[in-house]
Amino acid sequence: MPRKIKTTIVALSTPRGVGAISIIRLSGPKSLELAQKLTRNTKTFSPNTVQYARVWIAERFLDEIMLTYFRAPHSYTGEDVIEISCHGSLYIVELIIDLCVKFGAVPAKPGEFTQRAFLNGKIDLLRAESIADLIASKTQSAHRESSRQLLGDGAECFQRLKKKIIQLISTLELELDFSDQEITFAPHEQIETEIHSLINDIYVLMKTYSYGKIVRTGLFTPIVGPPNSGKSSLFNALLHEERVIVSPIPGTTRDTIEESIQKDGYQFRLVDTAGLHNTDETIESAGISRSLKTIQLADLLLFVIDARACLAEFQEIIPAKISNMIIIINKSDITDPFTISKLQNELSRYKTIIVSAKERVGIRELTTLMVDYVKAQQPSEEDFILTQKRHYIALKKMCKFLKNAKASSKRLITSEMIVIDLRLALSCLDELLGKTTNDDILNNIFQNFCIGK
Amino acid sequence: MKQTDFDIVVVGGGHAGIEASLASSRLGLKTLLITFSIDSIGRMSCNPAIGGLAKGHLVTEIDALGGEMAKAIDATGIQFRILNRSKGRSVWSPRAQADKIKYSLYMQTLLRSQNNLFILEDCVTSIFVDNSTLVGVFSKIYGAISCKKVILTCGTFLNGLLHIGLDHFSGGRIGEKSALGLTESLIREGLIIGRLKTGTPPRIYKDSINFSNTTAQYGDDNPFPFSFLTNNFLPPNVPCFITKTNPQTHDILCNGLDRSPLYTGIIKGVGPRYCPSIEDKIFRFRDRTSHQIFLEPEWTSADEYYINGFSTSLPLDVQEKAIHSIPGLEKAEIARPGYAVEYDFFPSYQLNSCLETKKIRGLYLAGQINGTSGYEEAASLGLFAGINASLSLKNEPPLVLRRDESYIGVLVDDLITKSPVEPYRMFTSSAEYRLLLRFDNSDVRLSSKGLQIGLTPKTVYDNSIQKKRLLAESIQYLKTHSLSPDQTNQILSIVHQSTISGGVTLFKLLCRPEVHFQNIECFLPPELSKRVGFFRDFGDQIEIESKYEGYIKRNQLLVDSFKSHEGIRIPQDFNYQNISSLTIEAREKLTKFKPETLGQASRISGVSPSDVTSLLILLRK
Ligand SMILES: Nc1nc2c(ncn2[C@@H]2O[C@H](COP(=O)(O)OP(=O)(O)O)[C@@H](O)[C@H]2O)c(=O)[nH]1
Ligand SMILES: [Mg+2]
Repeated sequence: MPRKIKTTIVALSTPRGVGAISIIRLSGPKSLELAQKLTRNTKTFSPNTVQYARVWIAERFLDEIMLTYFRAPHSYTGEDVIEISCHGSLYIVELIIDLCVKFGAVPAKPGEFTQRAFLNGKIDLLRAESIADLIASKTQSAHRESSRQLLGDGAECFQRLKKKIIQLISTLELELDFSDQEITFAPHEQIETEIHSLINDIYVLMKTYSYGKIVRTGLFTPIVGPPNSGKSSLFNALLHEERVIVSPIPGTTRDTIEESIQKDGYQFRLVDTAGLHNTDETIESAGISRSLKTIQLADLLLFVIDARACLAEFQEIIPAKISNMIIIINKSDITDPFTISKLQNELSRYKTIIVSAKERVGIRELTTLMVDYVKAQQPSEEDFILTQKRHYIALKKMCKFLKNAKASSKRLITSEMIVIDLRLALSCLDELLGKTTNDDILNNIFQNFCIGK
Repeated sequence: MKQTDFDIVVVGGGHAGIEASLASSRLGLKTLLITFSIDSIGRMSCNPAIGGLAKGHLVTEIDALGGEMAKAIDATGIQFRILNRSKGRSVWSPRAQADKIKYSLYMQTLLRSQNNLFILEDCVTSIFVDNSTLVGVFSKIYGAISCKKVILTCGTFLNGLLHIGLDHFSGGRIGEKSALGLTESLIREGLIIGRLKTGTPPRIYKDSINFSNTTAQYGDDNPFPFSFLTNNFLPPNVPCFITKTNPQTHDILCNGLDRSPLYTGIIKGVGPRYCPSIEDKIFRFRDRTSHQIFLEPEWTSADEYYINGFSTSLPLDVQEKAIHSIPGLEKAEIARPGYAVEYDFFPSYQLNSCLETKKIRGLYLAGQINGTSGYEEAASLGLFAGINASLSLKNEPPLVLRRDESYIGVLVDDLITKSPVEPYRMFTSSAEYRLLLRFDNSDVRLSSKGLQIGLTPKTVYDNSIQKKRLLAESIQYLKTHSLSPDQTNQILSIVHQSTISGGVTLFKLLCRPEVHFQNIECFLPPELSKRVGFFRDFGDQIEIESKYEGYIKRNQLLVDSFKSHEGIRIPQDFNYQNISSLTIEAREKLTKFKPETLGQASRISGVSPSDVTSLLILLRK
């Protein structure tokens, strides 16, 4: 019974936490392809040899890794397996796994590597029962883990989502299976509004995950601005002011400089970038486009300007998305207060702070402002915080289906089509809450509507 | 025991029994149908209608597999309507009012003239089993009869108990005796029994109804037949009449609840929630001040009407008083009172996927005896059991219908993987692959299987092959042929859409919500368009399969989620009890259901994905 496994799974296979080295494992038919995409490598890796490679995220260099390719069937699972040794930073590990998922891998379920090994006959058949036990216990303990985590607000959170979707599906199924009844059915606009509110609920939940993630792995904080505004000086000033965390990322091979500082328990990964310039000169444009990419990825953006500059000089290069940006008015030591306050007034719609990088004035206030920013992102006490990547991905998938459903509803597509995406969305929750059966939906219908001619 | 050369004995002449006995006799097996009375063959004991939501799909599937129900209703129906017309075509369902006298006569005539089929008026009271294999039946008058297979289709007759108010008496339908003894014989052989309940409304005399106080409802002007063989379809169009209850009706009914067999706890069986009695509806949904009532003619020039929506088991005087409070029924005279019936059934998890009992080889159960409700469900199961009993005798592989190819497949699979809490009824929402399971393509989906078995006429199969080819060909053509910008914009302006620059493929054009097949048909080669015109609404069918390609693909995702384990078989003697990696609940459920495949196992409630994984691993041993 050789079952064709189509998915490629990915997971961290060394214990979580900051060790010197972490190993990420990929298994499945797309492992090799994923490794090539990850390392931007066009040639294939030769089996069973350790190779050096670099991982890039967007235009940014991420890490140097050692990569080993085990060709099927000569691997632990019997499938194509790639093992990636990277630096033991949670941040790097998460980003690499994120990338793999983006390229088409799915996060492995507990015990899934072992399970595949077994199914492909790599493990002694006589040990079948003990393996089954092992997997069951792993799944169950994972389940216990998540139910413990879910016991509080989390369980309620997911259950609420599930209830809402079931309610929506019932409304539509009612229309399809009981249209011969004397019942008024929900109008399309109502369905659309309800799907919309469901999507919003999920967004709120997903946001708690990205908060959890920045807390765990630090905020990516690039320093950008026009040339000579004092970015590098500020970078140094911040490193001088706060505790520097020795970065696990080797700095020698990059054209951006990255260091981490910590304040009040929050970690900021500062990046000194090339200058932003509104110019046509081609030599600079490569560096600039890299800076633009960096801006997009920023958790928090420090935009440095020279206090003596006038607004017109840099207005065009101020990033459009400003909710996560602080404008640093630098060189206060050599600018007269009147000019500074005039500029600050002109920038009143932004969050601004006046500093002198050179004289190290206002730097502490800046770091306080940065910490305040993180704290403001923190979900309120009552909110449940999403911590598991698998949960996050389930929600993300759910969102995609719900958006389909919403679009269909908007286009006045008939209910049986809308239901497909809603049922797919519901199935995303099944892994967290157990499977939903047709009876659950019918029960809901019979409970709420008077059926029967 | 009388040694006979009967291959198959079918017990019961209801909708399941008819299809079962026709299937086996048509497949060349010598078949004996035993029924209380020949007159009652094909009788519609509840409402005079065939089809309806999801049930209409079943009827066309029966037709595609060579059953009789579709042809019978086409020949004897008196009003035809497609339900759900405002929804997508996949959930359209044909429904017809039947002339129940003609319907029953049609079936009787057919059965009497069927080769290989013999009919005996008698009552089966027990079965004979030897070494876990069925060897014969015992009938009251005729005595012991040997045979190779038995299909029980006894409907509500097993220990049937009718209730009207606090009175109850034994019977299967009103005026007909119930079958005693058979249940006990099955229990002795180790089958497990359950009890269900269903109900029916009163019938009233036509000339006592004041129709001017009601609204007439006719069928479609251009009716659709059920059968793929029916041509030149010109059925009558006899109306139903709509009226409704009012607070006064509800008060009267409420005051009678102290004499209700349901509310006083006399009835033990569980009734269907989708078909509650009127007293149930009023009790559970108190804020509703009115419920719709349909008066349905029982035959063409009926002198009796069926009060659909008014199923009740309250005492006769309460029924009468409540009816009189309804507009149009002020002076209505009751021809037959409404009643509830309790009956034995055999929970269907005891059956394998051929509807044969796991305990007794050669014994098949089909219809209400499995815990289903509805003529269409019964007929589907009867046909399915009849076919599989026959195939087994002919040493041929069984008929398997997958969930993603037919409603009958869903029906059978649901039955064998579920513990019924109420009579099972087909819903479109039970079919994962609903978008492609249309009533109009049952032939495309199933007729090749029917032909191979030997029941489906060659013409139905040939047409289905043509339809399949035509669909593929048309879509191929649409995808590979573009219109000039002028032609494109000409169409867009017809459907009031803003023009575009550049031409697009016909397929892309058809995918726009506003564009319909009619708009592009003139751009097909005349020969192709002529062939499309040969099948009714075929342009619409091409349109939906193009327009909703994306949805159909995502629908496939829902199907894939259960399909992956379908091919993995579990030995019937597999011992779940000592497997520590299964939860206790899973062990119990799996032992009870004895699933044949891992797919079935995964659909049993209480069996979790991690249980399925464990099983998957253990099955590799
Ligand atoms: N007076 C004064 N000069 C500064 C300050 N910050 C930076 N500079 C000077 O401005 C010039 C450009 O600084 P640099 O940090 O390299 O700017 P970058 O191009 O944005 O990285 C250098 O000559 C710095 O000494 C400041 O706060 N006060
Ligand atoms: Mg610099």
